[in-house]
Amino acid sequence: MAPPAQALEALLARSALGDRGAFRALYDATAPKLFGVALRILRREDWAEEVLQECYVSVWRHATEYRASRAAPMTWMTSIVRNRCLDWLRRPNPQPIDDEQLEGLESDNPGPLAELERGRDTAALARCLRGLEARQRQAIALAFFDGLSHAELAKHLREPLGTVKTWVRRGLARLRNCLELQG
Amino acid sequence: MNYRDKPELRERLAAEYALGTLRGRARERLRSWLRDDAELAREVAAWEARLAPMAQAVEPVTPPARIWAGVERQLGGAAHKPFSFWKTLGLIASGAAAALLAVAVLLPPQRARISPSVEGSYIAVLSDPKTNHPVLVATAERGETVLRVNTLDPAIHVAGRSLELWALPRGGQPKSLGLVSHEKVALKLVATADQSLGDVPALAVSLEPQGGSPTGQPTGPVLYTGPCVKYW
Repeated sequence: MAPPAQALEALLARSALGDRGAFRALYDATAPKLFGVALRILRREDWAEEVLQECYVSVWRHATEYRASRAAPMTWMTSIVRNRCLDWLRRPNPQPIDDEQLEGLESDNPGPLAELERGRDTAALARCLRGLEARQRQAIALAFFDGLSHAELAKHLREPLGTVKTWVRRGLARLRNCLELQG
Repeated sequence: MNYRDKPELRERLAAEYALGTLRGRARERLRSWLRDDAELAREVAAWEARLAPMAQAVEPVTPPARIWAGVERQLGGAAHKPFSFWKTLGLIASGAAAALLAVAVLLPPQRARISPSVEGSYIAVLSDPKTNHPVLVATAERGETVLRVNTLDPAIHVAGRSLELWALPRGGQPKSLGLVSHEKVALKLVATADQSLGDVPALAVSLEPQGGSPTGQPTGPVLYTGPCVKYW
């Protein structure tokens, strides 16, 4: 279960004031999930460790900039980690995902979606993801969970690049409309 | 590429940035626009809020202890980083009149630095003194009569016994605030947080028989304590 946002906000606020104990509690409450996110995108434990460490140093240094009115604490930290992972994959020699790894990816994600449906805050998202066409959902899930680029999606799904880009674009637009209707 | 007056393009770039499919120079370019385009930054934040909950579906993996050790090493040994409020106060006090100092105290510059939802709140983080590990967070808004208590470590709840939360007022007897019976409880305060906690520098939790202390004062061992801080 996700830690309560209010507790994380309080811990972030205390971290912003220099409270290392609160920061440790924030780490304990959030690091397993974020390590999972980084591992899935980077697919290498040593990279994921390095990125996670950098991200928490960054969270500590930028805790004063966190605004609860703009983002839930977990959203803020997830975005920091995912952005850092994607930057990492752009390094000059990051060893792009190879064909064998691409083959090995789960092509659909029934497990994660079922998990989302259990959460009160994530049920609407799960419903809207289910409402997408299967290939739109698959493309979005692979991009989010596995960090695949358009080109990698095209290769993995064996479809032309333009087709995959369209799936992603239309899938995102439908997702937005659906979430807005869910209010 | 002129993206500024093309709402559909902006929307798509923001969405694909948040999803991660915007790559390479396009990603860097968008990131540079975010610095001076607040509206675009809001669109990206809205997309992150839509998509980031997907991460809740990712299987958590316990990170090896060396990651935290590495974080601590990078942050240096100091337990507290310099806090700009005190730095500012120091500068004012060293060079200017006491009147200015008074103003600085009335309008501490850190106001804007704290997230709005905790502004005007009392916050207590209670730790286990043996491990120095925070286990509970209690928060209450100034004018409200509710104290919200969140458990950070579910293992502290013991079957057959009750955890009782106490206010430790300056120079007075502990006052019971209620039982922390679940991982997330909202305790009703007898008066507003300002009246109940205004002169309470610390909170504590004691282990009591089921249902709470029979005497109105802590009878079991005090397990966790922490300062109760005003955030405004």
